[in-house]
Amino acid sequence: MAEIGFKKKKKIEGPKKLSIDVGDGAAIPSKEDVGLFTAWRVAFFGSIALIAYLVFIKRGAYIEIIQFVPDGILITFEVTVMSIGLALVIGLFTGLGRISKNPIINGIASLYVEVIRGIPLLVQLFYIYFALGRIIQMPPLPSAVLAMSVCYGAYMGEIFRAGIQAIPKGQTEAARSLGMTPAQSMYHVILPQAVKTILPPVGNEFVALLKDSSLVSILAVADLLRRGREYASQSFAYFETYTMVALVYLMITLFFSKLISIMEEKISAD
Amino acid sequence: MQTDGRRKMVEMKGVTKYFGALKALDNVSLDIYDGEKVVIIGPSGSGKSTLLRSINRLEEVNAGTIIVDGFNIYDQAVNINKVREEVGMVFQQFNVFPHKTVLENLTLAQTVVRKRSKTEALDVANKLLDKVGIREKSGVYPTKLSGGQQQRVAIARALAMQPKLMLFDEPTSALDPEMIGEVLEVMVKLAKEGMTMIVVTHEMGFAREVADRVIFMDYGVILEEGSPEHFFKNPTHERAQQFMRQIL
Repeated sequence: MAEIGFKKKKKIEGPKKLSIDVGDGAAIPSKEDVGLFTAWRVAFFGSIALIAYLVFIKRGAYIEIIQFVPDGILITFEVTVMSIGLALVIGLFTGLGRISKNPIINGIASLYVEVIRGIPLLVQLFYIYFALGRIIQMPPLPSAVLAMSVCYGAYMGEIFRAGIQAIPKGQTEAARSLGMTPAQSMYHVILPQAVKTILPPVGNEFVALLKDSSLVSILAVADLLRRGREYASQSFAYFETYTMVALVYLMITLFFSKLISIMEEKISAD
Repeated sequence: MQTDGRRKMVEMKGVTKYFGALKALDNVSLDIYDGEKVVIIGPSGSGKSTLLRSINRLEEVNAGTIIVDGFNIYDQAVNINKVREEVGMVFQQFNVFPHKTVLENLTLAQTVVRKRSKTEALDVANKLLDKVGIREKSGVYPTKLSGGQQQRVAIARALAMQPKLMLFDEPTSALDPEMIGEVLEVMVKLAKEGMTMIVVTHEMGFAREVADRVIFMDYGVILEEGSPEHFFKNPTHERAQQFMRQIL
């Protein structure tokens, strides 16, 4: 599960505090990080080359697999995009709840974050699909999306909280002194500024979620991994199948990491 | 609320404020009249900023009453946002909105809070940018501006709400010396137009030029009040004498 590497910006300048920033999304390359950049290049183009080699030169099972899994890739994207969208909404409200001065709202938001972060995602998936299934029976896909977004919403909440708190207090004071309500100052002044700091860790979460979405295959959601398993169990070509599945995941993940790092650069540029 | 034919803009009675164990304001009572220009001076930590910030309730006080523009701002029935619409505030750190252009800084609250139309807000904004002398920067983001220009944007932003009272919290303290003049100039102009102003500052030249009254604070108490000349010539309180020696 992703750990959030997000540090609050210090107002007072001074020697930087030593901190280690490790996310479990694919490492997002930055321009200065020349070593990482080449590593990204090798891995990304390597995975593409290897897929091409296996499909077009080795053929055999590989060509069958690549024809078998595309609808699974689509489901993987579907789950990822829907979950991240819902997680962002949950995260926004959780983050606002966490900074709320109302003890009840604050308590609920904090409790949610603590509880969710303490339970493995796989257990949450089982819980929502099988355990809660006795009360409300939902089809696998909505269950999966719900579980993923409830889980990632907790992490997003912490990102939103940190991003909002990183905006200097004077901004809120200026907005309020002009007669804006707390909601107006949050919407017009604080959130638009917080987006800049929030976007990089959100991108990280997106990549992490993309990978974690493979867990939903356990709920009979026909995602990339599930489709691979289906093919393997009928053809017994386990080595070929999981090699292809791993390479496809790698390629997709690295592609998005790069996309996010380009977006980040664009945002910090202006 | 007529006193000597003048209307009270701010009426503070027995205002006390604690920061933890520290008493920042100690039973302060103060009346500010319509059109009056009051300069508050005092050493750092004397409570002058806290006093100013309590007037629009950016600081919640622990005891006492504060009546602004006829409204008791601690009355449950009074909407503090409505009161704040009439009370402009300028901060030491400018606090301009960095994600908005200069023009948008001036139109945001007009449209959102005052519910003015876009054209009306733009009209007000452009006039004010002319007034503070930065019309040519209207499309620029504030981070590209000097401190003095940012502070002038902040003043114009507050004025765009057409407030009845302006609060200035050390508006020139964060500025490089060569930029102090351009900001004070705007403030003097505003004072001459008759705006009610409460200014926390150490700029005694400004005080001499516009202040009707100077208030000296220390230890959360108003120790002495008088005309600017009084403070230049013969402040009576020993702490005030000491302070004046240090800043002049």
